[in-house]
Amino acid sequence: MTAFPTYDAAAIAALNNQANAILKLFAARGYVREEPAILQPADIFLDRSGEEIRRRTFTLTDPSGRELCLRPDLTIPICRHAVETNAKFPARLCYNGLAFRHQPGEPNRPTQFFQAGAELLGLEDRAAGETEILSLTIEALRACGLSDFSLRIGDLSLFGALVDALALPAQWRSRLKRHFWRAGYVESLLYWLGHGDGAPKLPGTRTEIEALLDRQGDAPAAGRTREEIIARAMDRAAEAAALRLDPGLADAIAKLLDISGPAEESLARIRALLKTAGIALEPQLAAAESRLAALKALGVERMQFTAHFGRNMEYYTGLVFELWARDKEGPVQVAGGGRYDSLMEMLGAGRPVSAIGCAIRTERVLAARAAGGG
Amino acid sequence: MLTLAIPSKGRLKDNCNAWFAERGVILEQTAGARGYRASIAGLPELDVMLLSAGEIAAALLAGDIHLGITGEDLLREEAPELAGRMHLVKPLGFGFADVVVAVSQYWVDVASMADLDDVCAAYAVRHRRRLRVATKYPQLTRSFFAQARIADYRIVPSAGATEGAPAAGTAEVIVDITTTGATLRDNGLKLLEDGVILKSQAQLAASLTAEWDSEARATARTLLARLDTGAPLYAALAEQLPK
Repeated sequence: MTAFPTYDAAAIAALNNQANAILKLFAARGYVREEPAILQPADIFLDRSGEEIRRRTFTLTDPSGRELCLRPDLTIPICRHAVETNAKFPARLCYNGLAFRHQPGEPNRPTQFFQAGAELLGLEDRAAGETEILSLTIEALRACGLSDFSLRIGDLSLFGALVDALALPAQWRSRLKRHFWRAGYVESLLYWLGHGDGAPKLPGTRTEIEALLDRQGDAPAAGRTREEIIARAMDRAAEAAALRLDPGLADAIAKLLDISGPAEESLARIRALLKTAGIALEPQLAAAESRLAALKALGVERMQFTAHFGRNMEYYTGLVFELWARDKEGPVQVAGGGRYDSLMEMLGAGRPVSAIGCAIRTERVLAARAAGGG
Repeated sequence: MLTLAIPSKGRLKDNCNAWFAERGVILEQTAGARGYRASIAGLPELDVMLLSAGEIAAALLAGDIHLGITGEDLLREEAPELAGRMHLVKPLGFGFADVVVAVSQYWVDVASMADLDDVCAAYAVRHRRRLRVATKYPQLTRSFFAQARIADYRIVPSAGATEGAPAAGTAEVIVDITTTGATLRDNGLKLLEDGVILKSQAQLAASLTAEWDSEARATARTLLARLDTGAPLYAALAEQLPK
């Protein structure tokens, strides 16, 4: 592998053939091709994905001082364009092009790679949308001539629903959801909730907090309203009093996060665990199970469900998935995607828009085929 | 030739000269070259340059100079991973300053990094953009926030007077350097209780990527022995240098 690859004639032809096969399939399913600019305003990525993405993004400043970047993905420019042009929903959009990522600490990994992907925006029937995108991804890999791959899925909404079912203060629920993907940290939060001795005591009445605020003289509001601060200070004081989770329940959740294995078996274990803990999450479980049935019908044999599988910085909110194959060096992720229901609104859509998409790493698909995965 | 860069102005320069003088080492500013060169009696193979503190950090990282005196904050900002690139020869006991996370005193509900994490997340949802952190230390900020498990923020580079950013409305939070905290307080800001990113002071540092020929090594051995007779400074440096 090299950071700055040069493609020879054979590689270009092979990549183009693959891309054409994928784009032909996308077009047949009603996905319209778009090509966003390679150079993008850095703001849209930093504001949506957070500072972490900067470590992996090539940013530059234009002569007028505006901060630009080489697109680290194509999903955000495509969604932003859909928002700006008031796209009609449901919208089915697709692309094939280069994305650019700095690879910290790995000087020999390519900093640019081809991605072919599809975005399904504004389809209200969530289950149908998820099945559509999962099938599309699997069929696209097959259209490239790759048949030997496995699927890894997770569902952020399952954990979200579980946390919402707990008798915990709102801030703690949001904290648990936010840190869902940090292996180890959520478990330590849960342990603390179940076994700790509660948070420090704070002044909690509105009068006390207002008096405290009035004493701050000329200190700047710094982007937050007085009401915003009072509300959070009161919540924080209230949560200190309410903060206690049945240790059995906390342990059950930690155990649930540990579940990983063949998909059917994993879901059965989650179902059993929730039943014992007395938490009802029937709609979420039923959705996960029917998704599994649909995938089985597509002939995907190797499916893993990992309860703590979610991905940082890539704005996912529900289903997440990765497809894995092998190249000559070992396992390699050839495609991935998921649901990102909050992104369109963050980009200015004015209301939440159901959204789900996938991206295929075509160079890796090529390498996996070359290694005999065809 | 061994090159040593020392600060060219301000309190850091005065403290530096005093520190050398206490050890009986007198810096003689060379005439000509507009006073940006100096020498030390008895060390003809040593070239002393006067540079700004920021330039010294960058020059050490680039391997353009062998030794330099500058703030640890600048060194760690310039090279987040010191290993293999720089060796801290000796902390000098002056130029003390802390790099800290500070928020408005008006944020009475925020005392810790965990509070800031909650506020960052709520801010992103409410305002549809990330909370802004103004700083001259983007690298230190990024790694400290990552350790504190905060993701929902973005850095806005600050060229000067960072402490004024929250009042000016160009950022909500700052990461800045402070010695007594007075400047922060004057601007209505407070330090978070677990918000100290780095306790910094002036350091004598060596570049590990500079050209260390035998003459440079010999001169460094003599210089370091004169600067601290009690400690095996050169031996510790030599261990880090390529054989």
